[in-house]
Amino acid sequence: MDNTALFLIIRRLRVPMFVLITTFGISILGMVLIPGVDEQGRPYHLTFFDAFYFVTYTASTIGFGETPYSFTYPQRLWVSFSIYLSVIGWFYAIGAIVALMQDKVLASQIDLSKFKGKIHGIREPFIIFVGYNLLAKSIIRKLSDEGIQSVVIENDAMRIDEMVLANYTLEIPALHGDINDPDVLRMAGVNKPLCQAVVSLSSDDAMNLHTAMAAKLLNPHVKVIVEATYEEYAENLNTIGIEIVENPFKIVAKRLYMGLRAPSLLMLEQWIYGEPLQLHPRDMIPTEGKYIVCGYGRMGKALRIALKRAGIEYVFIETNPKKVRQMRKDDVHIMVGEGQDKKLLLDAGVKEASCIIAGMNDDFINLSIVMAAKKLNPNIFTVARQNNIHDDSVFKAADIDRVTIVKNLLINQTYIAIARPLSERFLQLIKNKGAEWGDGLIITLKQIIGDNPDKLETVVDEEHAYALCRHLEKGETAELEILLRSRKDHRYCNRAVALYLRRGDEDFLLPDPGMPLQIGDQLLFAGDRESFEDIAYSMENLYELQYVLEGKSCATSVSCRLHTGR
Amino acid sequence: MNLSNVISGFFIILALTTNFGFFYGDPTVIDEHSRYELFAAIIFNLIATVYKLGDKTQIGAVLLATSLVADIQLISSASVWAFGEYVVGMNTEVVVAIISLSGGAMIANIVSVILFTAETIKSKR
Repeated sequence: MDNTALFLIIRRLRVPMFVLITTFGISILGMVLIPGVDEQGRPYHLTFFDAFYFVTYTASTIGFGETPYSFTYPQRLWVSFSIYLSVIGWFYAIGAIVALMQDKVLASQIDLSKFKGKIHGIREPFIIFVGYNLLAKSIIRKLSDEGIQSVVIENDAMRIDEMVLANYTLEIPALHGDINDPDVLRMAGVNKPLCQAVVSLSSDDAMNLHTAMAAKLLNPHVKVIVEATYEEYAENLNTIGIEIVENPFKIVAKRLYMGLRAPSLLMLEQWIYGEPLQLHPRDMIPTEGKYIVCGYGRMGKALRIALKRAGIEYVFIETNPKKVRQMRKDDVHIMVGEGQDKKLLLDAGVKEASCIIAGMNDDFINLSIVMAAKKLNPNIFTVARQNNIHDDSVFKAADIDRVTIVKNLLINQTYIAIARPLSERFLQLIKNKGAEWGDGLIITLKQIIGDNPDKLETVVDEEHAYALCRHLEKGETAELEILLRSRKDHRYCNRAVALYLRRGDEDFLLPDPGMPLQIGDQLLFAGDRESFEDIAYSMENLYELQYVLEGKSCATSVSCRLHTGR
Repeated sequence: MNLSNVISGFFIILALTTNFGFFYGDPTVIDEHSRYELFAAIIFNLIATVYKLGDKTQIGAVLLATSLVADIQLISSASVWAFGEYVVGMNTEVVVAIISLSGGAMIANIVSVILFTAETIKSKR
């Protein structure tokens, strides 16, 4: 018995029903007891049935005349009384039902049972989002376009209304509830085997930690993706076994380091995130000279590590003396004051600096820092952190060389982690490969595929590779290289490169084309549309697979069937 | 003390006692059974049923079921009476049917009271 809404309705109807029964009872009894007079003037009593019949149509205001004979005055007195009595009874009952329909508790119970029904009805893998903020919104939009189901838990009813209006491709069930209540996550289906991941990208680290713990305790197998901008929280999360802790400032710092020392890796990363395989002018940050960084907060700390590792000369400007003292302990390159202060900028050496990074958490301070620096040194490369996605037009107008939108990085990262697990692993593997390795890969990709390669993730399983699975089950071998062959002419190779192969827990980065495939292998390819089509055909279609394996096309399908054993 | 318990207990017992009042007497002689008592039994049974609605406990569900059984039997008893009086005419068979239906309702009401008492005794306060 789980239908709380129904019980709530029934329980609330007790008193109105009691009132109705009592008014009917009193009216009927009175009608029976009061004597009437028939046509011949003899006294008679209404039977219970007569009285019930009369009261029923009178009380429901149908009006039907007096029955079975005209009433006497005492009877009419009683009828007048019972009309008022029963009408009041009905009014009260109807009023109570209308009030019940508007009751918030009932409405929330009905919403809850609807939500449960929707969760129960989900037959596809789904992702639970805790908090419907701008980040979640963009990620849900991307996932929904890919056909991946999301479920939202949100504390603020206004945001849920906003979400209902957002009109996604898929219907996104939303639960209005507080994450501090563990039942909320359970109701959202965290226990279900279909639940793939729980995502919490709140700017409140404590809440993220809470969500992560609750999700892990309720279902140890679920993937948990949370944002953690403070080190302490990130460590806590790592100790309880949360795989994916996203620190947007670390991502920014990593990208800065890549831009300085391994631009080809940065290029690959951006390509995985969906941009063309080339560097924008905005990514050509100066690799020499002095950097001025405004703001030594969470982002500043991460940037310092990146700059130090890249061996770049730097100086920080920070307004909060407390943070300055904290840094002075192990470093002296810090000045106290406002970043937009011209004198301070000159002292920091803005005239000969090659780059200024405005990394405060206030968009307009960042803009004014960049403006001030540009006035003093027109050649300086400017980088600004944009905190609020809505400030886009202002930042575009300010003509800044590179705008870092922390939220966008998180959106990309989370989306990849959910929807493109192989790409995500590939990014992790190449992280420490160094500039030369990256350069080599990019030259290969450009030579084989061209300037704008596409990506394909696929699995050797029944669903994606019917023919290949049959072939391998027979005990025969197939090398990775056959998937790259052209279906037009098997002697030629398609314009595709296998980037990464995952077999169980083993990773093969840039797998050797001669490597024999196994059922269950997960593959990441770079290539063009035509080659991806060929890969799909070769994996799924028995005849196509036969052709790329042996180079003979089957003239008659019967012999081909005999040959492949079907 | 819970006021809603007092009210529902009151009506449960009242339903049983009026039911018994109607049932008591020679089952073949309609004059030994008051129509007013049947009317009262129906009204009190309906009220008792309403007060058992919306109880999520197991015993609440069984109480509601017994009450519904009593309602159905008493209302059929009244319907048979009306049918006998206006359509086929009163005879012994109709009278026995009226009384035995109310007897069935009384057994349901007794079960109801037993359950109610058992629940009251079971609770520690």
